Amino acid sequence: MEDIFVKLYEMTAFGDIIADPSFLIMYAIAFVLLYLGIKKHYEPLLLVPIAFGVLLANFPGGDMGVVQADQDGMIMVNGVMKNIWEMPLPEIAHDLGLMNFLYYMLIKTGFLPPVIFMGVGALTDFGPMLRNLRLSIFGAAAQLGIFAVLLAAIAIGFTPQEAGSLGIIGGADGPTAIFTTIKLAPHLLGPIAIAAYSYMALVPVIIPLVVKLFCTKKELMINMKEQEKLYPSKTEIKNLRVLKILFPIVVTTVVALFVPTAVPLIGMLMFGNLIKEIGSDTSRLFDAASNSIMNAATIFLGLCVGATMTAEAFLNLQTIGIVIGGFLAFALSITGGIFFVKLFNLFSKKQINPLIGATGLSAVPMASRVANEIATKYDPKNHVLNYCMASNISGVIGSAVAAGVLISFLQ
Amino acid sequence: MENLSLGLMLMAVGMITVFSILLIVIYLSKLLIAIVNKVAPEEVAVKKATATASAPTVIDPNTMAAITGAVNIVTGGKGKVMKVEKI
Repeated sequence: MEDIFVKLYEMTAFGDIIADPSFLIMYAIAFVLLYLGIKKHYEPLLLVPIAFGVLLANFPGGDMGVVQADQDGMIMVNGVMKNIWEMPLPEIAHDLGLMNFLYYMLIKTGFLPPVIFMGVGALTDFGPMLRNLRLSIFGAAAQLGIFAVLLAAIAIGFTPQEAGSLGIIGGADGPTAIFTTIKLAPHLLGPIAIAAYSYMALVPVIIPLVVKLFCTKKELMINMKEQEKLYPSKTEIKNLRVLKILFPIVVTTVVALFVPTAVPLIGMLMFGNLIKEIGSDTSRLFDAASNSIMNAATIFLGLCVGATMTAEAFLNLQTIGIVIGGFLAFALSITGGIFFVKLFNLFSKKQINPLIGATGLSAVPMASRVANEIATKYDPKNHVLNYCMASNISGVIGSAVAAGVLISFLQ
Repeated sequence: MENLSLGLMLMAVGMITVFSILLIVIYLSKLLIAIVNKVAPEEVAVKKATATASAPTVIDPNTMAAITGAVNIVTGGKGKVMKVEKI
């Protein structure tokens, strides 16, 4: 009789949890993330699957936690070291569980982030960028945080690969951060994805904070429409539809020639956009890219990323470094954009609202919406949304190019 | 120290590359706009045509049919469309 109770106890996860209470911390983290996603609506489409993945990964005996292979692809399977890239997928599923099967098939191969980028492209309108081409350059300045934090992270002891993955959080683009981390430091995927998406969700808090620190009231009251009337743009678009179809084709070709490592991201982003802009002829493809494929990819990406956050991989000093470094990268990117606008204003008659620099980081369209709210707070007639969208969208291209540079130099 | 110099080099190369690529995208887009304006400026022509045609408020028959159909469904066939005006 006693034997049965012992076996029943061993069957449950209680014994392992009592032996290693760090699992409880992971449950608490999962519950907090679920709360933020469900109740506070912080990026729920991603935070909910990620948080549930964290929960699933941390049940001892559940076999749902991702086991990271080392740099050579070696992994411990039932006491034997094996090369994960030589293991057939059914064997991974059998020996390491379902989540490892999904992770090594969909994430580690770098498959899902570009698929999500295709969906993002299908949901993006490059119109505001094309109408305000000059403002697009601020999407470059706002990548400063990526490289500044890369440098700082190296200085405090991260390897260049880890530092690159940490810095890319400053691009404020989830799929880009995940794609870069998979290539450079896959063991940090969990905390980096969480930091990237959490800070993206906190854009309405971080942008006003940085703007308040570095911008004066006078600067924030610069009215872009009035400036446009005073100094009208010479470029007139006569056929936006044709232009929007040609744009993704041309951008893909140019970026592919200069930074081939960015092609999986930029190429898929532009492909998604192209099938949107063609219109009714490709409407079925557009529908699939922006709905069913995007949604399925998001579910698997979120669950797998969450499953990389096992207690063993997450609860260490490196994670704290990533959380702090990620915030710095984010804030520095916004600051970089703001100061580039200030520099630009010194030499130009046509003044630009520094909020347009602040939105140079990806986080489309939330960053632009937040910037517009700030501008209308100072002057209810000063709507900067369309102008901010120009730098905001070019920021997506900018962060993907920055990721391409990091991958080519550090991989 | 070696890693720090790698970081500095990456910072310089990375920022220069991002600026260069976006500048190329901007100027290429300007070129594209100029080419499209020259080769296929039809959207403006269509707009002008509709602007002059819409002066006496002519409603497209398909639009009229859709509006009448919607009114019929909502009012159960009792309602009649007397006048449609563009605001």
